[in-house]
Amino acid sequence: MTELLEREDLLAQLEAARVEGGRLLFVGGEAGVGKTSLVRAFTAAKPALHGSCENLATPTPFGPFLDVGVDIGGEPRQVAVALLRELERTPLLVLEDAHWADGATLDVLRVLGRRIDGTAALVLATYRDDEVDSEHPLRIVLGELASAAAVSRISVPRLSFDAVRKLAEPHGADGRAIHRLTCGNAFYVTEILAAAESSLPETVRDAVLARAKTLEPAARRLLDVVSVVPSRAELWLLEAVAGDLIERLGECLASGVLREEDDGIVFRHELARLAIESVVAPDRRRELHARILIALESGGDVARLAHHAEGAGDSAAVLRYAPEAARRAAAASAHLQAAAQYARALRHSSSLSSFERADLLAAHGRETSVTGNHDASIASRLEAIELYRQLEDPLREGDVWARLSLTYIAPGRNAEAERASTRSIELLEKFPPGRELANAYCTQAYMRMLSRDNAAGVEWGEKALTVAEALGDDDGVSQALNMIGTSHLMAGEIDRGIGYLLRSADLGRSLQDENRISSALGMLGSGLGEMYELELAEKFLHEHIAFSEERDFVTSYSQSWLAAVHVYRGRWDEGAALAKSLLADTAISRITALIALGRVRARRGDPGVAEVLDEALELAKPGGHLQRLGHVYAARAEAAWLTGDRERTVEEAHAGYPLAIEKRHLWFAGELAYWQWKASSLQEAPDWIAEPYRLQLEGRVREAADAWRARDCPYEAARALAESDDVELQLAALRELDLLGAGPAATALRRALQARGATVPRGPRPSTRANPGELTTRELDVLRLVAAGKRNADVAAELVLSPRTVDHHVSAILRKLQVRTRGEAAAAASELGLLLLQDR
Amino acid sequence: METYVILRRRGWQSGEELQEAAARSTAEGERMSEDIRWIRSYVLEEGDGVGTVCIYQASSPEAIRAHASAANLPVDEIVRVADTVVVRADPQPATIES
Repeated sequence: MTELLEREDLLAQLEAARVEGGRLLFVGGEAGVGKTSLVRAFTAAKPALHGSCENLATPTPFGPFLDVGVDIGGEPRQVAVALLRELERTPLLVLEDAHWADGATLDVLRVLGRRIDGTAALVLATYRDDEVDSEHPLRIVLGELASAAAVSRISVPRLSFDAVRKLAEPHGADGRAIHRLTCGNAFYVTEILAAAESSLPETVRDAVLARAKTLEPAARRLLDVVSVVPSRAELWLLEAVAGDLIERLGECLASGVLREEDDGIVFRHELARLAIESVVAPDRRRELHARILIALESGGDVARLAHHAEGAGDSAAVLRYAPEAARRAAAASAHLQAAAQYARALRHSSSLSSFERADLLAAHGRETSVTGNHDASIASRLEAIELYRQLEDPLREGDVWARLSLTYIAPGRNAEAERASTRSIELLEKFPPGRELANAYCTQAYMRMLSRDNAAGVEWGEKALTVAEALGDDDGVSQALNMIGTSHLMAGEIDRGIGYLLRSADLGRSLQDENRISSALGMLGSGLGEMYELELAEKFLHEHIAFSEERDFVTSYSQSWLAAVHVYRGRWDEGAALAKSLLADTAISRITALIALGRVRARRGDPGVAEVLDEALELAKPGGHLQRLGHVYAARAEAAWLTGDRERTVEEAHAGYPLAIEKRHLWFAGELAYWQWKASSLQEAPDWIAEPYRLQLEGRVREAADAWRARDCPYEAARALAESDDVELQLAALRELDLLGAGPAATALRRALQARGATVPRGPRPSTRANPGELTTRELDVLRLVAAGKRNADVAAELVLSPRTVDHHVSAILRKLQVRTRGEAAAAASELGLLLLQDR
Repeated sequence: METYVILRRRGWQSGEELQEAAARSTAEGERMSEDIRWIRSYVLEEGDGVGTVCIYQASSPEAIRAHASAANLPVDEIVRVADTVVVRADPQPATIES
């Protein structure tokens, strides 16, 4: 072991994090730079838990936590909870090589990142930052955890020239040349120094091989054996596989090439293992894999067995272990690994019957679809379909067509999705109605719902419902109710839609199926948002977010709709802040977040409108669905109008209008008609558009304003009043616009009033803002309850918020009121009269 | 960080009021130093009071709004700066006295 140079600062940072506790620290750096050495030096004299991720295409789900001794039979959330309990006893965990982590392990890290705050534990996760590109699963986790206060990253730099010289000196080596060659990579430097060759090895690999050459031939052969075991090689395994060579182990350990870890043997560094493995002759490698396979077969881990089976070229063994490993990985939500295991099985499937092969392809299609690898999923499913067709098994063929149709939707291949769905129904309707048919109907209902073909959505949903009910398939019933309810909502049948969706959620509760409950709550929240039922939408969005956060489900889509609802209810600060916090996300939640942010900027007259709304349009286009396009074009038309560009207002509004009319979307048709009418390019709109817009187009601005106010849309209400002929009403509108900070609308109205000769008040000074503490409506809600002496948990229950959200609100309140305790907040609030203020 | 011009027309009754605002602005700016940096300001003679044209660097328009709201400063308009052309150094600042 080399002396640890230039790491004092990093060690001090680690120590500070340990003392503080409740931290997850990602330790990044290139391979060989010295991450492990740093972490080892830090944990040397401390009790600590250790786990390592393996360099395997198909790592074992939860692999590193197996080392830690935590029960890994369960979902990631349960494993995380077990781990947190373990950390209460030993509050230090080192997780090595997180860039190789399986999906289940990454899920555990996600949960840890959010829950470690408040504990006494420190978790260190090392990773190769140069191998984690934007598509890498770990990068996605890092992105998600970027805003978590308990999570941070440090990076281990390369050694400086001075350090390399200091290391080289005792060997009499040329520090300058070594530094130039290695760029200060600590592992490379030590390998060169250990090899002690007269000419410097050109690569890390050469350095490792040169160093290995200094061993006796038998010891060198033992290295070959160890190199074929990617994870830690157990002693008993080496004894079984290496034969007499095992006697040379002492020599390998003494030279520092290998080291002992727990009950096994590992290379000093993964780079060294790879270098040695790369020069093992192919025949020898296959033979070693075969021997390891036999030795492990008495009860080894199936993922490991599958790896060595493939290395041994033993197809029968691959087919024995890989599908089983895939099923276990899928059960642990490690879908990438499950897909890789199925792919491995497929590589060795030439001996299988067409039927078995088709089943493997269908399973591979399912797992790749979950991980978002749509191309692979589509290819496998098409192949499975072709095999089932040849086998004349229309039931299975039809089932895969239905699943394939959903996979086509994500990349926007709508026409193919429609064809696949139609085909599945054709095939499955020839059989007595079964679960497959119920699912195929439901899939068709889902596509109609996405396209906002609401009547057809209800119709297909009813068909699915009939089949599922006859079968007693409660899960199918719950899904069908969800589809029917959502389509009713989108048709403006609000009460009926809510009724169906609540029944779907109730059924989910009785089935204890959290996905069904979550889906129904999410649909209620976002669907009611799209229908401008803002108060109800907000209630269900909070309910969905609280439900999902507790279970570590994704909340970003509901959060994005919550941001939009904040904006439409006049809470621009809150809406913009929430929208921005979501922009690390991809896909559909990003579109709605961008729209919310774009609306706020446009209404304030702030810069940066085009960049967000252009991106939203780009993201919405491939799907081609009204629910996104209608929303984006409405926001873009509004933004164009607020900059005074009539021509572009018409252009943007018209781009979304025909589709909104075709689908009879009350709100998108209403808003897009309104902007064209404002820009004087529309004579007539249908009479079914949403009421506030219809009233405005009819010139009944006072009633329109009342209708907007009833929906709690202060900006839209003021915008309607501004169109009045009555100076008093216009002045009232101006006060509201000033209060909101609606620069462009206020400026335009001021000009109009001045042109009429009215006396126009100046804009508001900061001191006349909404309330002295600048608290948001939601913060006022929380403050009222806090001032009444309620605990955060009670506040959360009463307002249907997650306790964590309440924590955030309380700290914001303390900050804004510039007080330190809840008691002081209550006192400050009553002094300022805040508790009497009602929601606007 | 991008550069922005912020117009705060007729924001204050007096130079004294403006100085108090400047102190709040500095304090809040330090608290949000990752999102906002105050570069310089030009104080406007507005007849019945004073206003400012401020040059800031900020991570987003929302950061400027949040800073203004925290420091109790008015904002009339935020404009993003596309480029800077420096011809001469700024004139010597005069001390503002009420």
